[in-house]
Amino acid sequence: MEGLIAFWAESGIANFEGGQLLMMAVGCILLYLAIAKKFEPLLLLPIGFGAILANIPNGGFTDEGGLLYFAYYVGIETGIFPLLIFMGVGALTDFGALIANPKMLLLGAAAQFGIFATLLGAIALNWIPGFDFSMTDAAAIAIIGGADGPTAIFLASKLAPELLGAIAVAAYSYMALVPLIQPPIMRLLTTESERQIKMEQLREVSKTEKIIFPLMVLGLTILFLPAATPLVGMFCLGNLMRESGVVDRLSSTAQNELINIVTIFLGLAVGSKLSAEQFLQMETLGILVLGAVAFSIGTASGVLMAKLMSKLSGGKINPLLGAAGVSAVPMAARVVNKVGLESNNQNFLLMHAMGPNVAGVLGSAVAAGVLLAVLG
Amino acid sequence: MVSISEQLFDALGIMVLGMALVFIFLSFLILAMNLVAKKFAPKPQAVKSTQVAQQEVVNSSVSPLMTAVITAAIHQHRKKVL
Repeated sequence: MEGLIAFWAESGIANFEGGQLLMMAVGCILLYLAIAKKFEPLLLLPIGFGAILANIPNGGFTDEGGLLYFAYYVGIETGIFPLLIFMGVGALTDFGALIANPKMLLLGAAAQFGIFATLLGAIALNWIPGFDFSMTDAAAIAIIGGADGPTAIFLASKLAPELLGAIAVAAYSYMALVPLIQPPIMRLLTTESERQIKMEQLREVSKTEKIIFPLMVLGLTILFLPAATPLVGMFCLGNLMRESGVVDRLSSTAQNELINIVTIFLGLAVGSKLSAEQFLQMETLGILVLGAVAFSIGTASGVLMAKLMSKLSGGKINPLLGAAGVSAVPMAARVVNKVGLESNNQNFLLMHAMGPNVAGVLGSAVAAGVLLAVLG
Repeated sequence: MVSISEQLFDALGIMVLGMALVFIFLSFLILAMNLVAKKFAPKPQAVKSTQVAQQEVVNSSVSPLMTAVITAAIHQHRKKVL
């Protein structure tokens, strides 16, 4: 009999708390979004499962010595996982479209306004009772507007680790929602005739240019923004491995096996931060709202910048391209292509949109570097 | 405890500084890319393209008659669709 009581006292049913049940439900929602709706499944599936594991009473996954504890401690607290992912992203990225048309970097820069405007918004939210974001919290939330998962996780782990779970979930959910969030803003800010603008074909790019590019980006980062070198450095390493053509084995590992392995543990570790006491707060609600605002402002400022460039160039640039300036590679570029095709079914903007799209990755890494340098 | 309006003012400062830095950084990158492009961009090769065109003609296994037939068929098909 005593054994039975001891068994009961250890069972899940006897130890459940309301918050844990609620967080398991959140985990299940994430699983549903990943499996049924195909929202960023590569990350939301492990994150959702991690959230369930982290809230098992007496499971001990997140206690010192538990699997999720170590995954978080080793990979995220140190910043290693997001950086390894960034190396993989570098190895996956072809900068050809950007090198052929360097002006597109300006769109990648303009879209980062979403980040800095949200910084202001997060602080302004402190007027509402129940919110108390410090400047570092606000910066970590604002980076959601960069639409770049690894960058957001990296910055949050450095500036506001206690908000990391909510920030990562918001960042990846909104990246999945790019096809819903962006088109209305793009249509609102452009005219039908602007959307129909066709663009000249991109010039060819030599291999030498592609090899020099990552080295050049690294060089500029070293000179002007050393705080961004962890992110930009790993990104450039991945890209150089890809473009140099002499280490195909390493490049292929970085963009396949390594990024996959790291993604599993990154997802689980982020999920472990979705414990009831950290997630069920007013702040989480604020973060979700601010994330959506950040995305929208980023899209809008990108489109407005593209409109300006279009005017200055005498109508050679399609303003829709600006929306691709938020990173979210390659989703944002695909959205641009789709909206462009709606206005003119012969106008394929995908290759042109890849330029500002990869520029957005660099832009948000630079913005993260600026925030780290100022607040870190 | 710093007041919210003071914090807002700080945030505004970071915003201006941040956007300026992002733009300056990427503008430098544009300059550098243009310099590299001047030196290493592939020259527009008129000679090469005619070579390629000639090769295509030589390698083409479709006879001129067949090409004419296909062209006519496509033409008719397009008319039908319209």
